[in-house]
Amino acid sequence: MADFEIKDLRASVEGREILKGVSLAISRGEVHAVMGPNGSGKSTLSHTLMGHPGYTVDGGSVIFKGQNVLELEPDERARLGMFLAFQYPVVVPGISMANFLRTAMNSKRGYDGKDKSKQVTPKEFRGLLKGELEVLHMDDSFLPRYINDGFSGGEKKRAEILQMAMLKPEIAILDETDSGLDIDSIKFVAEAVNRMRGPELGILIITHYTRILEFIKPDFVHVLVDGKFVLSGGPEVAERLEKTGYAEWGKEETAQPEEVA
Amino acid sequence: MGFNAESLEELRGEPDWLRDRRQSALATYERLPSPSKTDEEWRRTDVSRFNPSDFSKLEHLDGLKLERPSGLPAGVILKPLRQAAMDHPELVEPRLFSLVHADRDRFAALHAAFFTGGTFLYVPDGVEFDQPVLGQHLSHEGGNSVLPHTLIVAGRGARFNYLDEYIAEDDAETGYRTGSTEIFLGEGSQVGYVAVQKWGRKVWHFADQRAELGKDSTLRLFNVTLGGKFSKTRVEASLAGEGANAELKAIYFASGDQFFDFHTLQDHRVGNTRSDLLFRGALQDVSRTVYAGMIRIEKHAARSDAYQANRNLVLSDKAKATSIPMLEIDNNDVRCTHGATVGPVDPEHLFYLRSRGIPLQTAKRMLIQGFFGDVLDRIPFEHARKLVEAELESRIG
Repeated sequence: MADFEIKDLRASVEGREILKGVSLAISRGEVHAVMGPNGSGKSTLSHTLMGHPGYTVDGGSVIFKGQNVLELEPDERARLGMFLAFQYPVVVPGISMANFLRTAMNSKRGYDGKDKSKQVTPKEFRGLLKGELEVLHMDDSFLPRYINDGFSGGEKKRAEILQMAMLKPEIAILDETDSGLDIDSIKFVAEAVNRMRGPELGILIITHYTRILEFIKPDFVHVLVDGKFVLSGGPEVAERLEKTGYAEWGKEETAQPEEVA
Repeated sequence: MGFNAESLEELRGEPDWLRDRRQSALATYERLPSPSKTDEEWRRTDVSRFNPSDFSKLEHLDGLKLERPSGLPAGVILKPLRQAAMDHPELVEPRLFSLVHADRDRFAALHAAFFTGGTFLYVPDGVEFDQPVLGQHLSHEGGNSVLPHTLIVAGRGARFNYLDEYIAEDDAETGYRTGSTEIFLGEGSQVGYVAVQKWGRKVWHFADQRAELGKDSTLRLFNVTLGGKFSKTRVEASLAGEGANAELKAIYFASGDQFFDFHTLQDHRVGNTRSDLLFRGALQDVSRTVYAGMIRIEKHAARSDAYQANRNLVLSDKAKATSIPMLEIDNNDVRCTHGATVGPVDPEHLFYLRSRGIPLQTAKRMLIQGFFGDVLDRIPFEHARKLVEAELESRIG
């Protein structure tokens, strides 16, 4: 049995059925890519897996560490080892990135304000941060700023990956991390993700375009159209989409991005 | 027992003019009816169950702890208000209750008749000092009245900071509490004033904070309201000299069955004046708040600039915040902006924090602190900022 098993997942938004039975098994150490045209259900998949309250689960299960995560609160899923890099990270005024990161790390470690031994020390925090900032070509000037406040599109996405590196998940979902990024930013992000690749981490990359897959090589590629997987295979599936786009499923969209200026 | 001529006799040793004034205020109190729901200001603010006479015992006559900054410059007068009325009638008599009028309503009259404790601070022309003056008003018992009044006079070019802190020994105390302040800002003066109201959770509290700003003066006023079963506070700035600048900020955090009422006034009486108001409050449980703010630009007050905002974070379905902005503009050459928001925690913010493993309660607490965060930065001096941050943290819990 795989480490993370999505079985016949069905989900809707405001009464509209979006996911119509999605099954996917991810084991740690693997990188899976889910590709699909606009409106295929990619965002619904990522949000439903993480437990966003705006999405309704209509059926199926997601088993991770012996639990059906669909029955858990979003923060419980995160503490169990899941992570979602948001397509659109939100701006949260009044809370500094430093406070946010530290609180998230402490929560992950089960620090509840009592057992000081579980608390991340300032030294440990700085040490972890330093290495990751270098890889992502970021500096620590963003730490006192409010969460994602005044960040450029690229900075927001890099900050998502930075959080992933700090929180060390076992299953990470990257939701269109490449969208809106210039090629340099994609490379920095990919480098940081590749550094985290290893037997402890399973990755699910959700994307419209093949480009990020040139830098983060997937082991498996799945094509999502109208809420169902229509094709699954190895990296060759991405190559096929690179050439023909989503035409064979009646969608006019290509799988190559327009150049980001 | 009650608030009557006999109980005024307790306040011995005061000059004749003050005794006369108290008697006149008492007559006003007896004459004025209790405000009814037909008065616009009291439409949502129910005082029908408040009977001041239940609490007519005055806890103390001068129960004030004053912390004098070390090395206070010569000429600065800092002493209990009743003492100052004896020692410096030429400074106190013309100003006391000239901004906060005793005949405004029944409760203002009662406060003017029976105020005890409170501070008088006079800073002469050109005198500046950095260390804040700290006035702590304490209540040790319940079931009685504590009615302090602060009078602050800033001479031309004076610059200083002042903190009024209203502290209950027992958070469950009942009683009648006030905490009114009059501030006179001379030409070019700069005054930072912070009032932190932490009376017990079962008291009735009424406060009038009013400042008059002379030419080119700057007031940075910050109000913090946390205590009381019922708390009604008026914050008013009268911009009386060209170039005057009033920054009026407040935070409130209501929980349980607390009810807070705020009425504010930004009165631009002359031109080239500026006012900037921001009241930010969070409500939980079954608490209720009412904010009503008036910007008044008088006829000759051209080139005035007024800003007013009231933001409410409603943390429970049963809590209710009402916000009523009002404008009264008699001059067209002005800039006026106002806005009000009432809403719950943004679910997207909550989801983002929780998606990182932060438990619901912690995430909510962070968002409440974040909501107050940027306005806390506007507290005019460090000592007060630290005090308010710590107080909020313990209450948000």
